[in-house]
Amino acid sequence: MSKNVILSTRGLRKTYGRGDSRFEALRGINLEIIEGESVAIIGKSGSGKSTLMHLLALLDKPTKGNIALDGENTSKLRQSKLNKLRNKKFGFVFQSFFMNANDSVLNNVMLPLKIAGLGARARRRKAMHALRIVGLDDKAKNKANDLSGGQKQRVCIARAIVNDPEIIFADEPTGNLDSATGEKIINILFRLNREKGITLIIVTHDPELAAKCDRQIRISDGHLASEPSKTPPTQLPPTYYEHNSGDTDADGMLDIMEEQA
Amino acid sequence: MKIFDIIKDANQNLLRNKLRTFLTILAIFIGSFSIISTSAIQAGVNDFIDSQVDSYGGDGYLAIVSQDSFDALEGLQGNMGNNNSPTEYNPEKIQTGMSPITDEQLQKVKQIDGIDADSVVEQKSLSISYVSSDKTEQKYLLSAEALPPGNIKVDLEAGKQLDLRADEYQILLESRYADALGYTTDNIIDQQIHLVVVDEYTQKEKSFDATVVGVIAPGVVSMGQQYVNNKLADDIYAENTKYYPEAVKSQTFALAANYDYEKYSADDIKKSLTEIGLSAMTIQDIIGQIKTFFDVILTVFKLFGFIALLAAAIGIINTLFMSVQERTREIGLDKALGMSSGHVFLSFSLEAIALGFWGSVFGIIVSVIIGNLVNAAFHADGSFLAAFPTFNLVSYTIPDILSVMLLIIVIAFLAGTLPARKAAHKNPIDALRYE
Ligand SMILES: Nc1ncnc2c1ncn2[C@@H]1O[C@H](COP(=O)(O)OP(=O)(O)OP(=O)(O)O)[C@@H](O)[C@H]1O
Ligand SMILES: [Mg+2]
Repeated sequence: MSKNVILSTRGLRKTYGRGDSRFEALRGINLEIIEGESVAIIGKSGSGKSTLMHLLALLDKPTKGNIALDGENTSKLRQSKLNKLRNKKFGFVFQSFFMNANDSVLNNVMLPLKIAGLGARARRRKAMHALRIVGLDDKAKNKANDLSGGQKQRVCIARAIVNDPEIIFADEPTGNLDSATGEKIINILFRLNREKGITLIIVTHDPELAAKCDRQIRISDGHLASEPSKTPPTQLPPTYYEHNSGDTDADGMLDIMEEQA
Repeated sequence: MKIFDIIKDANQNLLRNKLRTFLTILAIFIGSFSIISTSAIQAGVNDFIDSQVDSYGGDGYLAIVSQDSFDALEGLQGNMGNNNSPTEYNPEKIQTGMSPITDEQLQKVKQIDGIDADSVVEQKSLSISYVSSDKTEQKYLLSAEALPPGNIKVDLEAGKQLDLRADEYQILLESRYADALGYTTDNIIDQQIHLVVVDEYTQKEKSFDATVVGVIAPGVVSMGQQYVNNKLADDIYAENTKYYPEAVKSQTFALAANYDYEKYSADDIKKSLTEIGLSAMTIQDIIGQIKTFFDVILTVFKLFGFIALLAAAIGIINTLFMSVQERTREIGLDKALGMSSGHVFLSFSLEAIALGFWGSVFGIIVSVIIGNLVNAAFHADGSFLAAFPTFNLVSYTIPDILSVMLLIIVIAFLAGTLPARKAAHKNPIDALRYE
């Protein structure tokens, strides 16, 4: 497995509101995520975990700082390009399942493909494949609402992987499940990580889940707090970029460096 | 995303809350129904009036009498129902009957700019004692006149138009004569009937055997009048006037003419005629009042239709705003998964368009069904339109239907832009945090 940096941030800040209600949710985050690794984002409630994940997933724009995807600065990208990136490269799993409850399981899984503009046959084929991976192909015709919580979350995972993403973002994927069911979901996610090399970015309160990840990123009051890790350090000196620029997208990295200067 | 998928989703979303969708469509339906129905009635009335205009000689037709005759008529009748005082006696004028049009006036009429000189003809009144046929002993009174020149199409129920230059005697009859003379509307065509003139002095009868070429549809303008071709008219007139001195024979009381209504206004023509002591009525003068009456009523109905449509548009806005609110999470998910704002906008706009489309389609279908039922009921024996078989109360034309649909769809789309914009501007994050 290569050690390409797939996502990196420089001086990421996010401020909500104005005046008296102004609140700094993120106060300068520098981190990078290596292709194929699994990262847990942990921290107290309200510390800014979800905010960080939304920024990394390009769902929201930072107030300051920037995010590079595959070495390319994303702040200059047009909205249509961002939509495409999210559709093709990212998969999402949320705590509260987030699906169209009255629609069939199959339709829910096919949604990203429909948005991508795929034909009906290809959609069905890929969605059935994704459902087979999570072991729910026999429930394809069921109404999404009729499934159990664990099954719903598996449908969401199927939807997340249906477009063969590079990164899966999961915001407390086991938060609404009992520990046994949660375990199942976690196993599926890690199997995808191992077998398909999909990068996992998981926001979680669950220490057990966090421990299973290659690395933990702890957020505290919008700052990054270092955490012992098995893989390379998260807080890197700026020179790290120069060393590594050779084996990533050099141009993209240089762009980021220039903007930092 | 494929446009087909967006359209499909829009229709499916409408089916999610069936009652709400139904009520919104019902509101549009009411507007659509009123507008298409009034259009159809207007078209029906106009078709009928046009056929009447044609049977009178078309838009350029002028009926000309001397000013004195006209004044006499008005003096006796009162000016079209206006409540002015009775006309005073004037020994200088003929005030009680028709005064003739002089040869000099006739020549001047032909020279007026805008009047087609060849079209100016004398309207001879024919006196026929009775009509009979081989099928019955009964004899009936009948009033007939020569068809004025020009490309006149009499509104017919059966048969064909007169051949004005034919050498044989031809006549167009109303269907009541067909029945009375022992025939039906259809089988009287090409049969001979006998127009008899009784000599006032000798009591000898002279019969003109005329071929019935067509049956006239009853109308508001030509009611009671039968038409004959020139040959028959000339011969009957000759018989009627055979004892008259030459001076009287050549007297003319009424003229028919055509004017170029595309280049000249009726008022200009009338003014020119007034200058030479003549008075004219156009086809609009004759049937204009009927038309105005219908137009006023129908405009009022149409206005109600538009008001209903306006209310329906507000219904669309309301329905879609509710559905945007309900689907906040769904829209957020769509956008998180890469759907563009443009597609979200399109999807809601298409819902509005679908509401407009179905509302207008149902309105039109129901209007066509009810219109035809009412039309049939009004034409049943004894109903008030039974006497006018060619008068269709409603007339639906493809351009009318399409333009009403287009109008409603455009209104629905415009109404839908407000909620669609709101949906398109939704932020995926807010939607994700929305409970
Ligand atoms: N739209 C917003 N407007 C104002 N403040 C916000 C908004 N979104 C988040 N915040 C604030 O930012 C802070 C971080 O929120 P965030 O959701 O990232 O926390 P979190 O770490 O995910 O917490 P939790 O573990 O409870 O999910 C919180 O204090 C929250 O109130
Ligand atoms: Mg959170």
